[in-house]
Amino acid sequence: MANTETALKEALTSIEGATGVALVDYTSGMALGTMGGSKTFDLNVAAAGNTDVIRAKMRTMEMLGLKGDIEDVLITLSDQYHLIRLLKSRGGNGLFLYLVLDAARANLAMARHQLKRIEAELEV
Amino acid sequence: MTALRTPPPPLPVRDKAVTRALSPMLTRLAEERATGVLLREHGTLYLAEGRVVHAESAFAPGLDVLLTAHGTLAGAAWQRAVADTPGPLQAAELLLDLGRLPAGALELCHLDALYDAGYFALAPSSSPGRFRYDNTPRLGPLPSVPVVALERETLRRRLLLHRLWPDPATDSAPLVRAEQRSASPVTPRQRAVLDRVDGVRTAAGIARNLGRQAFHTLVDVRRLAAAGHVVPAAQVFAHPAPPPPPPVTDPDIALLKRLRDALEAL
Repeated sequence: MANTETALKEALTSIEGATGVALVDYTSGMALGTMGGSKTFDLNVAAAGNTDVIRAKMRTMEMLGLKGDIEDVLITLSDQYHLIRLLKSRGGNGLFLYLVLDAARANLAMARHQLKRIEAELEV
Repeated sequence: MTALRTPPPPLPVRDKAVTRALSPMLTRLAEERATGVLLREHGTLYLAEGRVVHAESAFAPGLDVLLTAHGTLAGAAWQRAVADTPGPLQAAELLLDLGRLPAGALELCHLDALYDAGYFALAPSSSPGRFRYDNTPRLGPLPSVPVVALERETLRRRLLLHRLWPDPATDSAPLVRAEQRSASPVTPRQRAVLDRVDGVRTAAGIARNLGRQAFHTLVDVRRLAAAGHVVPAAQVFAHPAPPPPPPVTDPDIALLKRLRDALEAL
C-alpha cells in the first residue's frame, strides 16, 4: 500500500545502479511522478518519448496478431540500461514504470525482479 | 557631416505573453499564493496557497468515475463517503483514512482527474474567468500541483493532439463512423472507443461511458480520425462569420497586404 512517492523512492534507493525512475501514463505521455534524473537527463522528456516506444511495440504486436501482454522492455545503451515495466493496474489507465540504470553498477536480473516487486506494492 | 539617424519605427509583433501564459490571471494568483476557486468557461480550478489542489470540468469525468469504473472502489462505498463529506476531495480523503483505498491508486486517480479537468479548464475561452477568494480549498494528503506544471502539461497536451491530427473538430462534435471503412488496424483501447461512436456521443460522452480520462479519449479519437475511422458529424449550427478585419490605416501595412494578396492570387 505504498504511495507513489514512496514507491519511486524505494526503486531509486533499493535497486543497485538506479539513477532515475518515473511513473508514466502512456496515453498522454505525462510523468505522474519522477525521482532522480539530472540536469542533462530530463525524466519528463524521457517519459514522453518512451510512450512512443510502447505504442510502437503494441501496434506491432497487434499487426502480428500476438495475444500476449508486454511485461517489460529493455533498452541497452553503451553505458545505461533503460527498463520499462508496464503496470497491470486495476485502474487500467495504462501506466509504466521507467527505470534508468548505470550499466557499470547495475545487476539487470535483480533490477527486473525488484521493479516487479515495487509494482506489486504500488497496488494500483 | 554627421548623418542623423532616426530609429526605424517598431514593427507590430504579437504579444508573446498571450501564448506563453494560458491564463494571466492564474499566473498572478499563483504568484500571490492565493486560496480560492477560479471559475472559467470550461472548468473550475481549486487553488490552495497558489497550488492547484483539484479541478473540475463538465467535459472530463470526475474522480468518482475514474475510481469506480474499473473496480478500484465499489460505487456504494463512494456514495456513502460522499454523503458524509462536503466534496469529492474530502470523500476521497475519508476513504483513504478508513483504509478503503490504497494510497497509490487514489493519488494516481486524483492526478489523472486533476490534469484531465485542468486541460479543459485552461482551454481558450470566450469569456474572462472569475476568482473567488475562499478558504475552503486546502493542501491535504493528496498531491497538489504547481500552476506552472499544470500549464506546461496543458500546452504539451495541446501540441500532442495537434501532432496526431491537426483538425480539432472531433474534440467536441458528435462522432460518426466514416462511410468508407479504413483498413488500418485498431488497438483494443481504440476499439472500445470506436464501438461507442453512434452519431450522438461526443468524445467527452464516450470518455464518461468508458470511465476513462477525457483527454485520453481525445487522443484515441484523433488517432481514429487520422486513420480514417471516424469523422465529426455534420455541424447542425452554422459557424458565426468571423468578424471583419479592422480597417488598415498605416500605408506601409496596406501596401504589404496588397502585395500579399497579389502574391496569393498568382
